[in-house]
Amino acid sequence: MAMCTNPLSDYFAMGGVNPRFESNCTALWRGYVGSWEVVDDRLYLVGINGTLEGGADATLATIFPDYPDRVFAHWYSGTIRIPKGKQLKYVHMGYGSTFERDLLLEIERGVIMATRIHHNGTADSDNDPEGYEVGAMTVFPRTSRGDQESA
Amino acid sequence: MIYFYWYLGIGAVVLAVVYGAHHLTKKKESDSLRDLLEAVNPDRKKLSYRILNNFVAPVLAAILVVVVWPVAIYLKVKELFQKKESYVSPEELEFAVESEHLLERLTVEEIERLEVITDPLKAAPDLPFGHLNAAWQEFLQGKADGVELWSFSTQWQTTWGRKELRCGYAVVQDGAPGAYFLTVCKAVLE
Repeated sequence: MAMCTNPLSDYFAMGGVNPRFESNCTALWRGYVGSWEVVDDRLYLVGINGTLEGGADATLATIFPDYPDRVFAHWYSGTIRIPKGKQLKYVHMGYGSTFERDLLLEIERGVIMATRIHHNGTADSDNDPEGYEVGAMTVFPRTSRGDQESA
Repeated sequence: MIYFYWYLGIGAVVLAVVYGAHHLTKKKESDSLRDLLEAVNPDRKKLSYRILNNFVAPVLAAILVVVVWPVAIYLKVKELFQKKESYVSPEELEFAVESEHLLERLTVEEIERLEVITDPLKAAPDLPFGHLNAAWQEFLQGKADGVELWSFSTQWQTTWGRKELRCGYAVVQDGAPGAYFLTVCKAVLE
């Protein structure tokens, strides 16, 4: 499932080494997608999928060389929002869209302290889209405009 | 009739001046800005949009300037005066620890004892601040001898109105807090 929170951004803001991801898509300005797992009420980063500015693939080992499979997100405190159900309103900006329910995980230094579900309403139609998605995006090619023209 | 021709003649001169001034001061649209605008509004790529935007609209504007040039002069003068009073966006506020945010004076050893991370799945180093240990070491290296370390906690409102709880440790010299190391930075919901 998708979550509308970026705990890894806090790691970079707190002084963690940021390897500089490449932004090549308007739907993913930060340049990476993290995969997260909750085990025994603790939040773990278990994968990173992205591209670095030089073009190399980014993995968990890029940021945490000694922990290539699993990283305890002890730096993160805050609320993780996981949208569920059908989409009520699409907003083409960040995590602005609303869904029938939000699963909220209250986290203190990587440990889940509480979970709750916030009900936002019921979709009008059974055909409304379900789950988090982006309505439109533009993907920028890796080669520069100048390179394309001279090719 | 001669007055009407004079009127249109002046209008043509005004159009030439306005057009020239516009071309001299117009900033070229960068490739990255064009990509961004096209992503937000895909219609910009359509031929109909380009004809409207690049041909129909300028021609209509030119005809309007020639016909009602006194209004064009009024608007240009108004624009010139407004530029002098143009809106200046506020500078982003920079967070700083203040004396009233300080909680407790601690030694490096006390802080490091408090902040050791342990994880049953061994997914973090058993060190003070875990994965952020290198950042903590760097923070300590930048600290002058003889300064104090204090814990702090405060609520902070960013330039954009987001309220955050910020906690951590700050260097204090002669009672004045300086550099800080963040341990918590989370949004505070109203």
